Amino acid sequence: MAAIQVNHLSKSYGSFQAVDDISFEVEAGAVFALLGRNGAGKTTTIELLTGFRRPDAGTVRVLGLDPIRDRAQVRGNVGIMLQEAGFFPDLTAGQTVEIWRDFTPAARPASEALELAGLTAKAKTKVRQLSGGEKRRLDLALALLGRPDVLFLDEPTTGMDPEARRDVWEVVRDLAARGTTVLLTTHYLEEAQQLATNLAIMDRGEIVVGGDMAETLAARVGRVSFELPSVVQPGELPLPATVRGKVAVVQAADPDLAAQTLLSWASERGLRLRGLEVRTASLEDLFLELAHNGETAQNSTTTRDARA
Amino acid sequence: MSLTATYKLSARLFWRDKGMLPASVITPLGLAIGMPTLMRNVTAGGVTAAAQMFVGTLALILSGTAFLNITVALTMRRDQLLLKRLRATRLTDRQILLGEVASTATQTVIVMVISAVAVHLLADVPLPRDPVLFAVFAVAGAAVMATLGVAWTAAIPRGELAAPMTLPFFFLAGLASGAMGPIVDLLPSWLHPFFAALPTSAVVDVVRASYGPGTLGSDLAAAAVPALVLAVWAGVALLSIRRWFRWETRKS
Ligand SMILES: Nc1ncnc2c1ncn2[C@@H]1O[C@H](COP(=O)(O)OP(=O)(O)OP(=O)(O)O)[C@@H](O)[C@H]1O
Ligand SMILES: [Mg+2]
Repeated sequence: MAAIQVNHLSKSYGSFQAVDDISFEVEAGAVFALLGRNGAGKTTTIELLTGFRRPDAGTVRVLGLDPIRDRAQVRGNVGIMLQEAGFFPDLTAGQTVEIWRDFTPAARPASEALELAGLTAKAKTKVRQLSGGEKRRLDLALALLGRPDVLFLDEPTTGMDPEARRDVWEVVRDLAARGTTVLLTTHYLEEAQQLATNLAIMDRGEIVVGGDMAETLAARVGRVSFELPSVVQPGELPLPATVRGKVAVVQAADPDLAAQTLLSWASERGLRLRGLEVRTASLEDLFLELAHNGETAQNSTTTRDARA
Repeated sequence: MSLTATYKLSARLFWRDKGMLPASVITPLGLAIGMPTLMRNVTAGGVTAAAQMFVGTLALILSGTAFLNITVALTMRRDQLLLKRLRATRLTDRQILLGEVASTATQTVIVMVISAVAVHLLADVPLPRDPVLFAVFAVAGAAVMATLGVAWTAAIPRGELAAPMTLPFFFLAGLASGAMGPIVDLLPSWLHPFFAALPTSAVVDVVRASYGPGTLGSDLAAAAVPALVLAVWAGVALLSIRRWFRWETRKS
């Protein structure tokens, strides 16, 4: 049975449709990344999955249970890191963890939770004196306290420095390897690519792309870019290219092969391709491509509206 | 287990909240001790007047230490998304709110007892003849006022408005119970039943009986109507919490 099952889930705020008929499943032990631009509906989705909000339509099952009706039971098995929540500013990080342990049956020792979150050195610091990234770590420590089976992380590494971020990745990978199911959102696409086995990209409340990370990326094209030599017209290149300013971009399913073709073409003519870059499909390309499509769609709607 | 945890947390935050202590403890305690002591020393036959006034000032403790304090604390925690964070734990909604109410009621009873002892020592006000009656209504009154404070947060849009929107009840309660002296006698008589129906007045009426002469029978008789009044207020509070309580600020 999948650890998280979402079926035709919808939620609106007034007349604004924040989540629009989405469905997906997350297998136990998988790491699932929920991506999308600001306002796409990620946090709303997480709040629906964790029982903070009631769906307008559709169903949610976490470990087979309804997060609202069976809240107590669900909460006993999940860890939640909200995008935004407060702390008691006058308590220290250590005191906060200690107090949260009182709320949590069979909690990890405080020192272990602080260690996992990389916050041991700050245990005696008041929360109001913690930096943004340190607060985020404290958030993580609290989410991990109860050794949850399912972990919801809403932008877990926002505000963390690169090293801290990598530490968190390590922790998440480690937990996933031991069978914890993780659903996370992030704006760092590298993070999603590094951690997630599955993904869904949301746009205006809908899932526009979803599935297995490797398969989704394999279905996308890579790209080769270089400075177009001044003596060459784009039409003369051996492969179709788009030119923006001085830079020519060739899209290809196999970018390595395309690069080889271009290089041998150039050496036959005694030309150099400066600034040559070969990139396999990345989540970022996919993301930008989607955003671009989204904008065009939106523009055409506006024009239509304007004409009507 | 988890109820004790929320209770402990709430109590700890109560005594550490330097911003709130003047309103939640110092002012009510100061008035409840200071005014009767003043009365004792400036009027002839001062002990009776002091006792009269002291019993009235308990309404100020109930509305300051219980009602005002819990209203401000909860709206602040709601605005800071602390209630939301607490809800992300394994605590149930009931444990979170019950812990707050129980802790607030405890602090309120402590303040009432301190002031009763203080006016005994400073103003010769006798200790209650029937301490059990006093204790039962102190606890019940504090619990009902704290529950009403939880309910009242639903009407308050933002944390900064909590104190101004709650202070009028503090003065109303004090006025109705005679903590401000006999001003209440100067007001139109049709207001009197309304004043008597306040939860604070119900407690003050019974506490007055627990100080005055009487027997077990007369005490029980004096307690009947106030007990009913408190029960009705408790019902109103619980129903409004069910219907309107908000864990997060309304965004719109
Ligand atoms: N309580 C609310 N009332 C009205 N609109 C809301 C409310 N909460 C969110 N929204 C709107 O719903 C949309 C989705 O919000 P949500 O927080 O789910 O986005 P998100 O994908 O998490 O964005 P971000 O990446 O910025 O965190 C946004 O346009 C937001 O303005
Ligand atoms: Mg969000």
